[in-house]
Amino acid sequence: MSAYLIAITILTLIYVLLALGLTLQFGLTGLINFGHVGFFAIGAYTSALLTLNGWPVGVGIVAAAVAAMLPALPIGYISLRLRDDYFAIVTLAFSEVVRIVVTNAREWTSGTQGLPGIARLYASLNGAASEWAVLGTILAVTLLAIWMITRIARSPFGRLIQAIRDNEVAVKALGKDPAWFKIQVLAVGAALAGIAGAFYAHYITYIVPDQFVPLVTFYAWMAITLGGASRISGAVVGSAILMVLLEGSRFVHDFLPMISDSAMASVRIGVVGLLLILCIVWRPQGLTGKRGDA
Amino acid sequence: MSNFPQLIANGLVQGLFIAMAALAITLAFSIARFPNAATGDVMTAGAYTGLATQSATGSLILAGIVAIFTGAAISLAADRLVFRKLAGRAVVASLVASIGVAFVIRAVLGVTFGLSQLVYDIPLTRAKLYWGVRLTPLDLQVAGAVALALALVFGILHLTPIGRQMRAVADDRDLARVSGVRPERVMLALWMISGGVAGLAGMMLGIKTVVEPELGWSMLLPAFTAAILGGIGSPGGAVAAGLLLGVVQEMSTPFVGFNYKLAIAFAALLGVLLWRPSGLFGKREGVR
Repeated sequence: MSAYLIAITILTLIYVLLALGLTLQFGLTGLINFGHVGFFAIGAYTSALLTLNGWPVGVGIVAAAVAAMLPALPIGYISLRLRDDYFAIVTLAFSEVVRIVVTNAREWTSGTQGLPGIARLYASLNGAASEWAVLGTILAVTLLAIWMITRIARSPFGRLIQAIRDNEVAVKALGKDPAWFKIQVLAVGAALAGIAGAFYAHYITYIVPDQFVPLVTFYAWMAITLGGASRISGAVVGSAILMVLLEGSRFVHDFLPMISDSAMASVRIGVVGLLLILCIVWRPQGLTGKRGDA
Repeated sequence: MSNFPQLIANGLVQGLFIAMAALAITLAFSIARFPNAATGDVMTAGAYTGLATQSATGSLILAGIVAIFTGAAISLAADRLVFRKLAGRAVVASLVASIGVAFVIRAVLGVTFGLSQLVYDIPLTRAKLYWGVRLTPLDLQVAGAVALALALVFGILHLTPIGRQMRAVADDRDLARVSGVRPERVMLALWMISGGVAGLAGMMLGIKTVVEPELGWSMLLPAFTAAILGGIGSPGGAVAAGLLLGVVQEMSTPFVGFNYKLAIAFAALLGVLLWRPSGLFGKREGVR
């Protein structure tokens, strides 16, 4: 049982890392990133490919963060010129293109067959010790990310990005150029997603393009919408609830055996959709937010 | 391999589906002012209910009617239960909610019809040569039906009183209201048309290809692209841009390969947004 709990906690923390990126990008800055899974996929594939070619896992994780940041720069540049809804469509398209590329660049990624046998973190330790070490590492990285975003939110930089969210024209009128701030915010969020992707690849040890569908992006969106988009605690609370729902649906099968696995997959999508709708209509500030938080 | 007339013909057939999806998106946008990401899954719903009707009754006409009504009913319900409550909020609220609606539709379809691929039971026909272009009679029938549906929609928009009111509301809601148009009724009609077009488009696409849970979702990006390319809110532009995008995607396959077709749509989207955000046929907008 404790092995199971450790596994669930590790996956929850990976979602927290993803959701934190969105908290920074959407909650604080107002950027509607519908392509988060694209950065996650780039991180996962970068680290997997590097370590499969003999590089140490540590190098892979750092490279994953850098590689995920690279497309954030042109996307951030484009975002300066787009309406909110168009930016959402562009990022969604970006993540689908990433999936098409990893599906079809077979000589590197072996396409739909996926990459098996990705090195685990702390593979030299045995069983439980290695699991605890992985958990500790991801927890440390997540806490570091939370600390960093808290610092960002309270800094002059943080006040400026929140001003961009609330009234971009006013920011421009004050003589500040929102452009560079948005690019930085996108890059930091992308790096977090890249790191999350690398941890995911090294924890699951097997990646295929099907793991990087837009549904993952909207899992993270559901987490921040449910938890509260403009609060850092929202990402944590929302991710935890998300994981309880996703994992809980496995147990439903034990109680209601007449529901098939494929029906359960559909029910899971439906629950995510329904919660997105309910939160937005009835509690837009999320569970942790105060009324008027937006 | 690079038989260009053939590629153009294939592209036009593909383009018809993109055009219909883009038309549904652009109609909904013209009144609700957000890109409705549930459009793709409304298409999927049309494909599945049409298929169920066809296998129950054997009639494709009846299937088409059911697909249209399913799409219209889902769109109306989504507007009533979700989108209307979000009017006046930031566009992101409706946008994220429409993703939620899309997932709920997909979940209901998945539970009802399962996740495996299904096909319409239609006799296979041999392709014929028309002026050096190989097309099956099915291609022509589907294209004819789509063209008919498009003509019908444009007929409603331009030849009927309710159509004139729709265009008035889409153009300037407040001005329409003070001119005595009741926006309530008009919005109802527009959601129904948008949903009906999407439902029929899904069924036609299902006939041409296979019916599977991601049928509509995978059309969403080309459809968004065409809607923006045509100038969002412009029905004629959406159809023209859809056909154009279909042809461009198909013509690009000898160069980039079949698998990267969607990437062409993405490149087109980026190009349009950067250089002409108001679309190829659109008027310049103050805000972009």
